[in-house]
Amino acid sequence: MSESPYIIEMRHITKIFGSNRANDDITLQLKKGEIHALLGENGAGKSTLMSVLFGLYDPDEGEIYKNGEKVTIKDPNDATALGIGMVHQHFKLVECFSVLDNIILGEEDTRMGFLQKKKAREKVKALSEKYGLFVDTDALIEDITVGMQQRAEILKMLYRDNEILIFDEPTAVLTPQEIEELMQIMRNLAAEGKSILFITHKLNEIMEVADRCSVLRKGKYIGTVNVADTTKEELSEMMVGHMVKFAVDKDEAKPGKPVLEIKNLCVKSKSSHKNAVNDVTLTVREGEIVCIAGIDGNGQTELGYAVTGLEKADSGSIILNGEDITKKNIRYRCEHGMSHIPEDRHKHGLILDFTLRENMVLRRYLEPDFQKNGFIKFKEVREYAQKLTEEFDVRSSDGVDSTARSMSGGNQQKAIVARELDHEHKLLVAIQPTRGLDVGAIEFIHSQIVKKRDEGAAVLLISLELDEIMSLSDRILVMYEGEIMGQLDPKTTNIKEMGLYMAGAKRDSVKEAQDE
Amino acid sequence: MNNFFKKEGVKSVVSSILCILAGILLGFIIMVVLALVNDRTTIADAFKGLGILLAGPFSSGNAAYIVTNVGDMIFYAAPLIMTGLSVAIAYKTGLFNIGAAGQFYMGTLAALMVALNINTSGSPALGVLVWILALLAAMAAGMLWGAIPGFFKAVFNVNEVIVCIMTNWISANVVTWVFTNMPDLINRGAGKSGYLITTAMTGNGTPKLGLDQIFKGSYIDMGIIVVLILAVLIYVILNKTVFGYELRACGSNKYGARCAGMNEKRNIIMSMAIAGGLAAIGGALYYLNPGIELKFDTAYSQLPSYGFNGIPVALLGSNNPIAVIFVGIFIRFLSMGGDQLTSAGFNKYIADIIVALIIYFAGFSMFFKGFLSKLSKKKTVDSDLTKKADIQSAGDKTDAPAESEGKEA
Repeated sequence: MSESPYIIEMRHITKIFGSNRANDDITLQLKKGEIHALLGENGAGKSTLMSVLFGLYDPDEGEIYKNGEKVTIKDPNDATALGIGMVHQHFKLVECFSVLDNIILGEEDTRMGFLQKKKAREKVKALSEKYGLFVDTDALIEDITVGMQQRAEILKMLYRDNEILIFDEPTAVLTPQEIEELMQIMRNLAAEGKSILFITHKLNEIMEVADRCSVLRKGKYIGTVNVADTTKEELSEMMVGHMVKFAVDKDEAKPGKPVLEIKNLCVKSKSSHKNAVNDVTLTVREGEIVCIAGIDGNGQTELGYAVTGLEKADSGSIILNGEDITKKNIRYRCEHGMSHIPEDRHKHGLILDFTLRENMVLRRYLEPDFQKNGFIKFKEVREYAQKLTEEFDVRSSDGVDSTARSMSGGNQQKAIVARELDHEHKLLVAIQPTRGLDVGAIEFIHSQIVKKRDEGAAVLLISLELDEIMSLSDRILVMYEGEIMGQLDPKTTNIKEMGLYMAGAKRDSVKEAQDE
Repeated sequence: MNNFFKKEGVKSVVSSILCILAGILLGFIIMVVLALVNDRTTIADAFKGLGILLAGPFSSGNAAYIVTNVGDMIFYAAPLIMTGLSVAIAYKTGLFNIGAAGQFYMGTLAALMVALNINTSGSPALGVLVWILALLAAMAAGMLWGAIPGFFKAVFNVNEVIVCIMTNWISANVVTWVFTNMPDLINRGAGKSGYLITTAMTGNGTPKLGLDQIFKGSYIDMGIIVVLILAVLIYVILNKTVFGYELRACGSNKYGARCAGMNEKRNIIMSMAIAGGLAAIGGALYYLNPGIELKFDTAYSQLPSYGFNGIPVALLGSNNPIAVIFVGIFIRFLSMGGDQLTSAGFNKYIADIIVALIIYFAGFSMFFKGFLSKLSKKKTVDSDLTKKADIQSAGDKTDAPAESEGKEA
């Protein structure tokens, strides 16, 4: 057999879930040493296709070839044996294990049945230094940030010396600097002859790093293009099927009276003796979107928790519409005009085993519209859920009766956004509302948030995505090590300047930042 | 037909039945092996044994016995269903109630304290009143007892299993201790010691409602009716009410429930309290029967098996309150057959082994469910595939699409 130009070829892959053709006759060809992007909206079938390649799903039709030879991949062990490694979108880490234990899991060195971690530790250390993937190897997964968990996942793959690397939306949680580093790592890896499949819906990243790009839409193969010969607009059109606006359409903000006032807020850190949120004072007024920018792990999550009531504030006060809610519970805050799009949609946003309709009333089930004398009004709940799913275009296999677990990430997020935006609110706390979503969904969610702002809601946005921060916010507050470093105007600042504040290299006098 | 098998409920029931069949099959194989190993029995005895097991209370053949046996089966199933419900509702809230045994004892204690200390002999109406009072006392005691592990879980995040096991033994000792100090309640008259007098002496036994006329000679009383009402009630609470919605939400994802504004701590305590109350009513209904005596003096050394048997009942019933009723009766059905097994030369504990096997297979119920889904899917895919194959052979399209082919505006 002649040498095939492709290290991995997936031919005519079809995978059916129930009545849904997640992959419909898809062909993907990966050349040796290239970075091949796989582009598509949520639910386009990217993750399914990769799961087929990684042996998690058995394809209903189609064949996989490696170096021109047909292979069968029944489970991830087969994939590993073929040198295929994958960083999953939802991490596959053991929460109560340390980073090192997770990395070596399944590949442990043992002597007479005892674990030998020394060599592994050195290898991990060398890898993490080589690629700038900083991890605390002895920290438990449950204690570290999402960003660091991702780095552990990437190290896991590097540790196994895989030659075909699948990155399933790896940049969704990384900071701009980290993304830059990851891009460099990917280039290095490709230069060393490793082949990379890079699943993403971020066009900038594809333009920057990928050699070729295959596009999927609604489970179908649309085409493969050379990145050098294409444009962002062309790619997005292939992906969505129509032209996409990149800038958020919004008028000048007309801020009114203050809705959320945070005064000298401190929240203790769980992992160290320092304050995760240290003496933060800020105000969000009606009709404006205030964005907290910063690198992951600088106290934004804790600030969000304190405002929404998931965690107690240690000192300082939180005032909602003139009322001190620092000591109030989550339900009280919710009933007094707070909506919350949580950071972690699986942990906080949804009850995954509940149906979509049950999830849709999670905030409102106590309202007389949905219950009478303690009994749930099933008909009303169903109608309401149906109305919301139509309005927000939430797609699922069995309509409102699908379990949330069975839905794609983007549709899960849309469901949460629908629920939170429809709930009567004066303050919307949105934490990474578009994390891991595709352009179409992002565009939609952004327009909904702007609509709420124009209707007079105050929006506190916490985001790690610089594009989102720049395009959506009316004011930017940059957080670094739990403190507000300064206030920026998105119209006059640029990403470089913001990066300096985010890295702690620049700081305005605190007073200046907070008063206006 | 295909759609019928796609329903979750149907899948659950069918997979449970498959578990049962697999358990019985393996139990039969064990009987065959035992029969062959033992000199006195032949393989024919194994078949006979299987027949007896499957006949349950009907295995005696004598019409009068059958009626009595069926009545007893129902009577003994009642407390089992209660502990099954107890485990099931806790499980729905994400808790493992291994403390049903202790709650069962606390219910027994409270109910008997009320029923044996008030003498209403000769006044049946008053007797019913005291009986109701005894049930309520049992429920209150059980709720309190169940709330303890719930409290520790909710407030200090102590694993409920550990606290449950401790409260189990505490309650066993409390039962012995309390009744040892109440000599008035001890049944000396009948020449026995170490037994409490029964509710027959004080006239506060569970009313029979004429059920004893239907099932002559059995222990049966209206306890089973209380059980049925409670099972339906629990089903309604879990599935139709806001409270049940909250319990299930907390059980499924306590972080999500918390984020939605629910008080997950309160819900954990409430769920365990209800679980405790249900197990306690099971204990009360069992010992309030005028025919049942409590051997209190050795209670401290042994936990009631009803408490633990609730776990397999809940498991096999997929924690569905209605299914728990049927499973509880079914398990008693097998045990009734087991009691007759000696006539085929087997130990009566074979029935227990088979129940245990069924429980092991219940652990595979997810596997059976998956198997069912695959089975119903395969049919549709198969017909799809043949169609596809025809098309493929017609137009040879093994080449991958050209790079530009699918590009569209």
